[in-house]
Amino acid sequence: MALLEIRGLSKRFLGITAVDGIDLALEPGELVSLIGPNGSGKTTLFNCVTGQLPVDGGRVSFRGEDVTGAPPHRVARLGIGRTFQLVSVFGRLSVLDNMLVFLQQHQEEALFGRLVRAPRLRRLEAAATDRARTLLELVGLAGHAAMPAGQLSYGQRKLLAFAAALMPDPELILLDEPAAAVNPTVIRQMMDHIRLLNRRGKTILLVEHNMEVVMDISQRVVVLDHGQKIAEGPPAVIRRDPRVIEAYFGR
Amino acid sequence: MGRAAPWLAAGALLIAAPWLVARLFPGVERYVLHIMIFTALAAALALSYDLVVGHVGSLSLAHPAFFGIGAYAAALLATEARWPFPGGLAAAIAAAGLAALLIGVPAFRLAEHSFAIGTLGFALVTQIVATNWVEFTRGPLCVTGVPRPVIGLGPLRLQIATLPQYYWLALSALSLTALLYRGLTTFRIGRAMSAVRDDAGLAACAGINPLKYRMLAFVVGAAVAGGLGALYVHYVTVLCPEELGIGLTVNLLVILFLGGLASLRGVLIGAVLFTALPEVLRIAPTWRLVIYGTILLAVVIWAPEGIDASLRRAGRLRRAGG
Repeated sequence: MALLEIRGLSKRFLGITAVDGIDLALEPGELVSLIGPNGSGKTTLFNCVTGQLPVDGGRVSFRGEDVTGAPPHRVARLGIGRTFQLVSVFGRLSVLDNMLVFLQQHQEEALFGRLVRAPRLRRLEAAATDRARTLLELVGLAGHAAMPAGQLSYGQRKLLAFAAALMPDPELILLDEPAAAVNPTVIRQMMDHIRLLNRRGKTILLVEHNMEVVMDISQRVVVLDHGQKIAEGPPAVIRRDPRVIEAYFGR
Repeated sequence: MGRAAPWLAAGALLIAAPWLVARLFPGVERYVLHIMIFTALAAALALSYDLVVGHVGSLSLAHPAFFGIGAYAAALLATEARWPFPGGLAAAIAAAGLAALLIGVPAFRLAEHSFAIGTLGFALVTQIVATNWVEFTRGPLCVTGVPRPVIGLGPLRLQIATLPQYYWLALSALSLTALLYRGLTTFRIGRAMSAVRDDAGLAACAGINPLKYRMLAFVVGAAVAGGLGALYVHYVTVLCPEELGIGLTVNLLVILFLGGLASLRGVLIGAVLFTALPEVLRIAPTWRLVIYGTILLAVVIWAPEGIDASLRRAGRLRRAGG
């Protein structure tokens, strides 16, 4: 059974159809890239899957469960992590707190326990802190743990957003242009992390404009144009597909 | 031990304040104690307000309405229905919390500025009802003769009648509010609230339901404000609709923004400074408001992020330099 299954998904903005009846299925452990010219509906598709935007038609299911129209906090708790194209972190929280806040909602929601800091929660908190430090180490931000996240550089914030999304150990990760607007070193780091995650069995859906990255890393590429899926297949095939070349460069 | 010592000393000083005041300000000790009671109540009210404004970042202008709903509930129950003080206090907390629960859900559907205007509308309507529903609230004639509070039962029955007793009651209310404030704004709840304030959309991606934490701050803040309204009305014994006005909102905003948003210490500093200061300045009655205004401007210019943030920065510089 597919981990994520999108069927006939549609989204319209004031009569403009941004996503037009897309079908897409991700098998567990796959690394799939979503490409297409600007405005082809990639980010809108992400936002419909994770509940940021209401859907106008079609359905989305995750692990066989219908999540169409579910609020984003519920989608997140089911095990779908994501990062944003315009990098977002909690600017006034410390780097460490940015990490911890991504895990805590998956663990315990009883407010009274939180208010009195129940011993069980303190243990969970200690374990979460260990995990956060390990992940920060991995992305090279361990030395900045106490700094307000708003003071990090753009590339560092991008790495932090990525690491934070991994805190709850999501089954499926949606990455919106992780390699955009960062320097080649960060791009390489990012690629290594994504590959490593995939090798550990995580399913990844990637939106990316950097074709070198896409062709290098993906097992399968899905091409969108004007909200429709125009091609799908292994990178080597997509590279030579005339419809794809036309969508990008025109006739 | 080393860290607890200053807190214990400050606590002892605050508890012993009525005796110290009598020694230090002979002749005017009643007046000084009166200001201290007002300061303690204002500090607690500002803390309850900061849960909403500072911690989840929603600029509510409805806080005086919740304070007023609590005050009217306690005043009317005590005078018309002869309810004992603890019952009136509980009813005041419940009434204000319930009002926040009812208006919070629709109000939080509004984005930032509309939320401020929506809550302002609620505050204005509450004041208009208090003024014009004369048969129930006595309107501009005011509720008078609110009795002195009695706490405890049987042999432990205690009537709060003297100024020092009122002071200790207000100090207890402030301590309880500060404890609740700390519990809610640190550890996991506080982290989730800060996340909602910084970026509600991203917070949702972290699994946080933004509405839940906004409502938590809003309802708890309102319930505390309602309880403080009850304490206030049992102290001043008279309640008029003007007390629910926009003036109170302005004072609270001055305390929060100039003292330090989302900071226990900042709010306390702000409350002491901007409640006590206008009173102290009465020694120069002609220039009082001019001096007050000048001090406000000076703080805005030299400590735009609030006094607490400036103190913190100064502390860091001193440590770095020494």
